Parts: sequence; structure tokens; C-alpha cells
Amino acid sequence: MTAILSNTQLRDVGSAPRKLTAGLPPATVLLSFAVILVVILWSLIPGLFTSLSPVTGDTASKLAAPSAAHWFGTDYLGRDQYARVVYGTASSVTSALVAVLIGLVIGSIIGLASGFRGGWVDAVLGRFVDVLLAIPGFLLAVVIVSSLGFQTINAAIATGVSAVAVFARLMRAEVMRVHSATFVEASYLEGGNRLHALLGHVLPNAYRSVLVLAVLQFGTSILIIASLAFLGYGDPPPASDWGLLVASGKTYVTAPWLVYAPALVIVATVLSVNRISRWLRNAK
Amino acid sequence: MTGDYRRFALTRAGQAIVVVLLAYVFTFLIISVLPGDAITNTLRDPQHGLSEEEIQRIVAFYGLDQPVVVQLLLSLGRFLTGELGFSLQSNLPVSQLVGDALPSTLTLATTALLIAIILAVAIAYGAQYLPGKWAAIVRSIPSFFLSVPNFVIGLVLIEFFAFRLHSFTTTDPNSPVATLFAAITLAIPVSAPLAEVLIASLDHESRQEYAVVARSRGLTEARLFAKHLVKPSALPSVAMVALIVGELLGGSVITETIFGRDGIGTVVQKAVTGEDQPVLQAIVSLSAVIFVAVNLVADLASPLLDPRVKLRESKLKEKV
Amino acid sequence: MSADLLTVESLSIAYGPTAVVHDVSFSVAKGESLALIGESGSGKSTIAKAVLRLLPHGEATAAGRVALNGRDILALPEKQFRSLRGRELGFIPQDPASALNPVRTIGAQAQEAAALLGETDPSVRRGRILDVLEQVGLPDPVRVYDSYPHQLSGGMLQRVLIALTVLPRPSLIVADEPTSALDVTVQKLILDMLTELRRDLDISLLLITHDLAIAAERADQLVVLKDGTVQESGPSRDVFAVPRTDYARSLQADVPALHPDRYRDQRTAFRPVDPVHDGDSRTGDVSSPSAGLQIDVREVTKRFSAGGKDVLACDGVSFSVERGRTHALVGESGSGKTTAVRLLLGLEQPDGGQIAVAGQSTSGRSRAEVRDIRRHLQLVYQNPFTSLDPTWRVSRIIREPLDQFGVGTKPERAQRVREALEAVGLPSDVASRRPAHLSGGQRQRVAIARALVVRPDVVVLDEPTSALDVSVQAGILELLSKLQRELGLTYLFVSHDLALVRQVADTVSVLRKGQVVEDGAVEDIFSRPQHPYTRALLDSIPLATPAAALDRIATEDKLLAKSTA
Repeated sequence: MTAILSNTQLRDVGSAPRKLTAGLPPATVLLSFAVILVVILWSLIPGLFTSLSPVTGDTASKLAAPSAAHWFGTDYLGRDQYARVVYGTASSVTSALVAVLIGLVIGSIIGLASGFRGGWVDAVLGRFVDVLLAIPGFLLAVVIVSSLGFQTINAAIATGVSAVAVFARLMRAEVMRVHSATFVEASYLEGGNRLHALLGHVLPNAYRSVLVLAVLQFGTSILIIASLAFLGYGDPPPASDWGLLVASGKTYVTAPWLVYAPALVIVATVLSVNRISRWLRNAK
Repeated sequence: MTGDYRRFALTRAGQAIVVVLLAYVFTFLIISVLPGDAITNTLRDPQHGLSEEEIQRIVAFYGLDQPVVVQLLLSLGRFLTGELGFSLQSNLPVSQLVGDALPSTLTLATTALLIAIILAVAIAYGAQYLPGKWAAIVRSIPSFFLSVPNFVIGLVLIEFFAFRLHSFTTTDPNSPVATLFAAITLAIPVSAPLAEVLIASLDHESRQEYAVVARSRGLTEARLFAKHLVKPSALPSVAMVALIVGELLGGSVITETIFGRDGIGTVVQKAVTGEDQPVLQAIVSLSAVIFVAVNLVADLASPLLDPRVKLRESKLKEKV
Repeated sequence: MSADLLTVESLSIAYGPTAVVHDVSFSVAKGESLALIGESGSGKSTIAKAVLRLLPHGEATAAGRVALNGRDILALPEKQFRSLRGRELGFIPQDPASALNPVRTIGAQAQEAAALLGETDPSVRRGRILDVLEQVGLPDPVRVYDSYPHQLSGGMLQRVLIALTVLPRPSLIVADEPTSALDVTVQKLILDMLTELRRDLDISLLLITHDLAIAAERADQLVVLKDGTVQESGPSRDVFAVPRTDYARSLQADVPALHPDRYRDQRTAFRPVDPVHDGDSRTGDVSSPSAGLQIDVREVTKRFSAGGKDVLACDGVSFSVERGRTHALVGESGSGKTTAVRLLLGLEQPDGGQIAVAGQSTSGRSRAEVRDIRRHLQLVYQNPFTSLDPTWRVSRIIREPLDQFGVGTKPERAQRVREALEAVGLPSDVASRRPAHLSGGQRQRVAIARALVVRPDVVVLDEPTSALDVSVQAGILELLSKLQRELGLTYLFVSHDLALVRQVADTVSVLRKGQVVEDGAVEDIFSRPQHPYTRALLDSIPLATPAAALDRIATEDKLLAKSTA
């Protein structure tokens, strides 16, 4: 306790970066927000972005290369691939959101209880989290989805359950870090009770890193759900989830755009989400 | 120290066993309690052409006519004695199915692990020692690797190296070159978190006062890296390597499908489509065993590698 | 004057677009010591880094000339400069605990320094290392050689670092706050050892410090820096005797060690006869034997067990504080002073003993009663950077105790917050800011306001200024003594800084290893210390001139020679 903080240490703590208020974020972050905006609009009002139908096509122009009429080309039934990507967005995005919500809510509650309550609660919940971690995430998702049935919503639930452990661990670590902070002890001395410490101090200081993880996990969930769809564990065609589009495109070796177009959309989306997450983490 | 270490090792090993058993129970519950009476559905599937007698025998073996708790205990008891049961689809022992598929997957996973480690070290070294702009580019690689789905990497590699350059053929998935490309597919996403940990700890260590002091004694950057920075940075990375073993096992499902390899991943896929519960149960439990064992080794090694790790952390210093 | 060893001419340094050092010039003669003094942000460490060429690559740019033995080391290619590192130019860092690689043994790292000697035989090098470890006063060099850094204490590590720095016999050592992370008694021993080594080996010293008392005691020349510019420079005797600039004057005036009576006059002006409280104060239980005592701690013990070993953090500690007075708990790390405070505040439960606050014992009472007693007992933490919730605004931070204890109506609470802000000398617009937008001194004022807002009788001050610059420290101490005068507060002041305690306290308890070794009135303890440990602590207060320090070492050497003979 008698250790004297060096000047540099004090400066480090003192000048917490306030990047959020200081001007615009970097160009790559703005671009990422633009990509995410487009993806959100695709999922909310797909009809605004294409006049073509995702389910019916003109078999005369099947497997056509990308052109002004068909930006991403057409598939084996002559359906416009761009329209299929746009219409498949809603399902891909909402299922990732559902997955994140499941992981976030259950994981945060477990992490909060174990970090704040400690003792036997921590021991019991800690073992449960260990178990979730011990089963490889993707395998766990596969097993859950096979038990629940092959639907996109079940894939989302499975992905969410396999993310619970990550959220629980981070929340627990954050809660323990904040709970041992001097200002929380000060709050107890000022007559505050545990509930006040939890709601007033611990949560407001802990939630940000968990939110950053949630953004990152949104990208990861898109990937996992796409992988499950790729294996055929999501909604069957004519649904057009992004992973499913890649899977059905891969049989047509002569029409590689059927694979690349939806793959690029996945990569651009996840890359943007990751960039935003990193920006949030650094701006904290 | 040695007595303390033995106690520490025994406690950790005990915890590991508990986790494995709980993982088994957890998997069992997911498979059998969640909706659908899969076993009987599968058994009565006319495609399998099982006679009523055979069905009765299987039902008796798994205790399907008894409560779930009894089934669980029966199943757990068999697992503890190393008995994994029979596949519902092929009627072969699960141990045989797994044993046949395991070598292929192990080759794939260990090659991928090696590639991932090499990739991660190269990225971390580049991020630290390349001149300004290049370092920034190298630093963004892990984030990019994390954004590309595994199956897209595989399809792109096949498209270019198999179909265009004819480096390997997809008809012989077990050839060394094909295995190498499959391993690269599996390694790329897995190398990203490892590279991130390495970059972060190298950044952290090179900013430490001891690195500055070592520089003040005239050490070159290369010697500083080799003598001072590698060891402390490797410590968190060992834990990360242990963690990504799980991702390798999970990722092999996709990779094997794309490259047409016959491994554990393929067995999992068949078991999922055929609702072959004993096979799924066995593979998930074995994955948990592998994961827990690797992490146990990493845990037990850390006090030996790092003199700072105290077996029982005392808070005394802070309190007094 | 002999030839200059180090010459710094018009040195300017910038981090990106922000200039942190402007046109600084000074020189160090051979065998001489020069101290760069300044508070945080003065640029003193940046100058040291520039001299050592350890500024972060690509981030900082330096202009001007830094010549060592006539060679401009800023212009030298790195390859040529490397041959000077260690051999000509040694570096002693600030925090010994982080200055050695934690996963390598001392010996392995010492070999690196010994390699600078040009000696190739490892066993010869090992001999040289063991010699120098012994020379810096390490009792068991072989054991130290084989140890990992975490197995040694801070003082031992700093000795190791000094040993490794002097081993290649550099002509100049740059020491960046070499003792500020150490306990005061250790600090003194290390500085004495460094002074002696320098004398014996004829090494020049560039000392970077925020501690004016140390600079005055240990350096021949002083350079006073503020905001990256030189305020004043010259022989340290002159600068301290007759500071020419306002800044140097105020700095000098703020150092407790140089002005034992700085706050004494202010405090003695107030002697409470009958303390009058504005509002909800209670009268103490007059019939109790401890009447008039705001705090009465009797024979408290506290045992911590860790790894099978028991440590008595408090071993029968007793002290008491009279109403309106200031009592100091003094001790180094591990003395038990922090534990004693935590027991008093109820953050730990004692294993034995009695604690009474305002005549009311805290043992055997319900939680609610204890909570009510503690309301009259407030704490100001050492580090204002961790004691305020970064997500809260200042107004809410100060209001928190009122909200929790349910004091007054909403408008009344807001009024009290305004009053508290005013009392601690903060402008009212601070109320809407978050801690990140405040300076260290402002934060500590907020912490004091939070402690005062419930109108307590007793305030426990746990090293309230040790994380702050001297000039800021002076402001906080003035504020505290003003508040004591106006509100009749009782203070329990925890500190390791005896010079400071002498200024602010009436009575003092000296703690060591969980026991009170000596207590009484400050004047008595300081003029007639009884216990050897108290004497050692007093000796560690820096003297004002280098000559005085050398004299003292000489006398001690003689005494030592006599005792060993």
C-alpha cells in the first residue's frame, strides 16, 4: 500500500483516452459501418435493392456469368444470385443476433453470479463453464442442432449455447476486477449495500468489455451459422442463407461466382464487424 | 515446492476427471433428453431392415425401455470401462468406427497445428520487427483470417491449386499435397487467435522496463528477442495452443467434408444425418477427453516453465 | 572546473506534433553529480531517455546536441552508439521489480552486463559478478546469482541493478528516480551506497528525481524543469539557499523535509476547547474511561494465513486519538499500518482486541449500529485515480454517502454537495465532470469532499498525498489543515513520510512488523527517539546538502569501523 506511483504510471491512469468525443473515427471504421448499414437494410427491406425474385428464375439463362442484369450471375435454375443473397440476409443476420443474445444473456448471468457471489456458486458454475469449454464449440453446435432438428433457428440456438462459456468467463473476470476496485470498497464504507455496489458500480464498469465481445461474437456467429448451413443443418432450399448459397454453388465448378459472391458478402460483413469491435475496444 | 506441486497436480487432475465426466453427462442429456426419440426412430427405419429381435436386443443393451437416469448410468458405466457401444446405422462397434477414422483426422489436425504455430510466429515476428507500414499490414492479418469462413478458404484453395494449377487432385484426398492443403484450410482461422496472443504479449514484454534496461546495456534487437522476449511471450501462448486444440477438432468436420477425406468429421456428419446417438456421444466425449488432457498438460507445465507462477497465490502481501 | 563529460545543448524533444522538451541545455563535469528535478510532465524522464537514446523508435524526435566526451551521441549511428551503451553510459531504472526479466535468473542477466567487460571466460565473469554483488552490500552473492527476481526484495533488486550498472565501470550513470519505489529506510541505504560507489569509482551521475530533498542532498548541481523548459540551474547549495525564480521558490517551500515547521503554525492556531459541530454530531459517552478520545484502539491483533504460514499483521496494536487532534501511524510496507486502518474501518475483523469510536465500542453490536458508528468515520484513500468510479460524475460521487445513508431531501443533498465542493476549493462546474477529466489534485479534493459531505467527526487519511506532486501535495495539506480548523475534525494520518508527519501530526505511533515500537507527542519522538528503528526512520529524512550526506556517511563508516574492530 505504501508503494508510490511513478509519474508515468499516474499519467497512464489519468489521461484515459477520450477518442469517442474527439472527431470522426478512422476511415476503415466508417467503411465498416457503411457495410453493416447496407447489410441491415438488405435484411429489413430487401425489395428495395432488387426487383428480381429469389425463388423463381428463368431456366433459359441458367448459370450465367455476372453482368449488368445479374450482378452475381445466376444459378442452375436461372435465379438471380444477387437477389438470393439479398433475400437470404434477413435469416443470416437475425439468426446471428439470436445466437449472440443467447450467449450474452445466459453467459452474463452465469459470469455475474459466479464473479460477484464467489464461494460455492462460483465453484459449481465454474465447472459448468469448464464443461461447455471442454466440448469443441462447433461440435457442440452440431450435436445440439442435430437434436433440435435441422432449422436455421435451431442452428442459431446451438451457436448461442456454444458461446455461453466465453461470455461467462469474460463477465466473471470483469466483475471480479471491478469488485476488487478501491471505489467499490469506498462505496461499502459509505454505507452502500451489495446490491448498490453491483448495480451502481460493478455493472456500469464491467459491461463495456462484454459488449465489445458481443459485437465480435456477432461476426463469429455469422461464420458458425454459415458453416452449419453449409453442412445442410439450416433451413433447406429454397431458403437462401449465405452458407447454404456457398454450399449449393460449389457443385458448379464452371460457375465459381456462385461461390465467390456470397463468400465475399460473408467476409465483408464479418470483417466490418471485427473492425468495429476492435475500434470500440481501443476507444474504451 | 515438490510436495506443493504434487498436491497442485493431483487437484488439477481430479478437476479434469470431473469435467470429463460432467461433459459426458451433459452430452448425454442433450442427445437423449431433447425432443425426438431418435434411437427408436432410427431403429424402426425400414431402410435399416432390422428384425424385431435385433431391435429388442439393442433396446435392452441401451436400456431404452428404462428411465433416462438409468440409461445415463448404464451409458456412463460403459464409458468408464472403455466400452463405447454400437453404431445404430452400421451395427459396428463405435470403437472400430472411431479407430478407423482417427488416424486420418489426427494427421490433419497435427499438421494444421504445426502450420498454425508457424504462421502465428511469423505474423507476430513481422508485426514486431517489420518497418512501420508493413508491420501495420501484418497486424491486420489475424483479423482478416478470423473473418473468412473455413469452407470458403477450402473452396478457394481447391479452385486454384487443384482445378487450375493441378497441384493435387480431389480424387485422392489422402495424398500428402492434398493433406497439406486441407491442413492449411484448417490452420488459417486457428492461427489468428494464437497470433493475436503472441503479438499482444510481445508488445507487452518489449515495453517492459527490463527490455529497456537490457537495451541500455547494448543488446541488439535480435538478441533481446531471442534471450529476453521469447520465453515470457511463449507462456501465454502455450495456454492458447491448448485452447485451440478444440477448434481444430471442430473445424475438421468442415474441412474433411470439403476435401472429401474420411475422418472423424465424416463419421460425425453421417451420425448426425442418421441420428446415430452412440457414435455422436462417443466422439463428443472423446473430444472433451482430448481437450481436457491437452489443457491439463499445459496447466501442469506452466509452473515448471514460469518461475513466477506460485501454486497457491497468497494475497498476504497486498493486505499487510 | 574540470572538462565536461556530458554536454546537452538546446535539446528539444517532441512526441509527434506535441513538443515536450524545449531548448534545454546543461552539462555534467567529470566526477560530478547533477539532478534534473521537476514534477510530472516536466520532461525530466524524456531528457534522460534522450541521453540514453532509449526514446521510442519513430514516435519521438529529438533536436539539438547531446555530447558525451565530445562525441554527439544523437548523431551517432546505432551500431557505433551500441559500443558506448553500458560501457560508457550506465542506466539505473526506477522500478527495480520490473527492471529485470522475471523468467531469467539474476546470474543469466548479469552475464550480459559482464560481457561488456570484454572478458570471454564465463567463470571469470561469474567471479567479477559475485565481487560486485558483494560490493553493493548483498550478503549472499552466490544465492542472489542463482535467484529469480521475484525471490528478492525491492531493495535487494535495486542493489543488483546498481551492481550490474557499475560493473563495466561507465563514466556516467543516468539514474531515473532510483529509489522512489522503495521504503524510506531502504531508500537511504541505497542512496548512501550509490554516493559511496561514485566517490570510489569516480563515476558521474545524472539523477532524475521529483524529490527535491533527495536532489538537494545528493547532487552538486541542480536543473529545475517545468513543462519541458529549464526554470533555474546552478550549484544545488545556491539554488536551495536562494532560489531565483518563483517556481523554484515555491517548489522549495513545499518540500516537507526542508521545512519542518511549514504547517505547524497553521495548526497550532487551532486548539479545540469544546468542539462545536454544525449539525448531526453526538456527544461522546462521558462516563466511559475513553472520554474525549475519538478513536481508541486497544491491543488489536490480526493474523493472516497464507500457504500454511501465519503472519501477524497486527500484534497487539494500541493507539488513541483525541478529539480535534491529528494522530499519525508511521511505518514502512509490511508494518501493519494499513491493516490497523482496515480493522478500524471494519473492512477486516480483528482476531482480538477492542476498537471504540467516539467512546462506543464496535464489538458485539448489530450491523446497523456499526454502520451508524462508521458514518462518523470517513476514509480518504491514497490513490485518487482508483478511489473514484470512472463512470460516475463528480456530483454523484460526492452525493453517494448521502444517498446511501439517506440524509436529507433531494434539494438538501444537492445543496450539501455544492457546499462540499466549495469547501475543498473546487469550482462548481467540476460537478458535472467525470474523474478522467480531472487532475490528480482535483480528484483527491473530490475524494475529500465525499468524505466530508456526511459531516463526520473523524477522517482517516491513508497516505493522502503520496501519489501526488509536491506542489499539489502542499495544496491538499493546506486544505486539510484548514478543514480541521474550521470543522474541528479529528484526523488519523497514515504515512511512511516522517518529514510530512512532523509537519501535520500532534501525536504519532511508529509501527514495525505489526507492533507499535514507539508512540507519543511528535516533538518528543522527533527530538528524543527511543527505539533504534525510529532513529533509523529519522535518519532517512534527506539532509539539505550533499556535503552533509557525505559527512554523515563518513561518521557512520567510522562508527562501523570501530564496531567491527
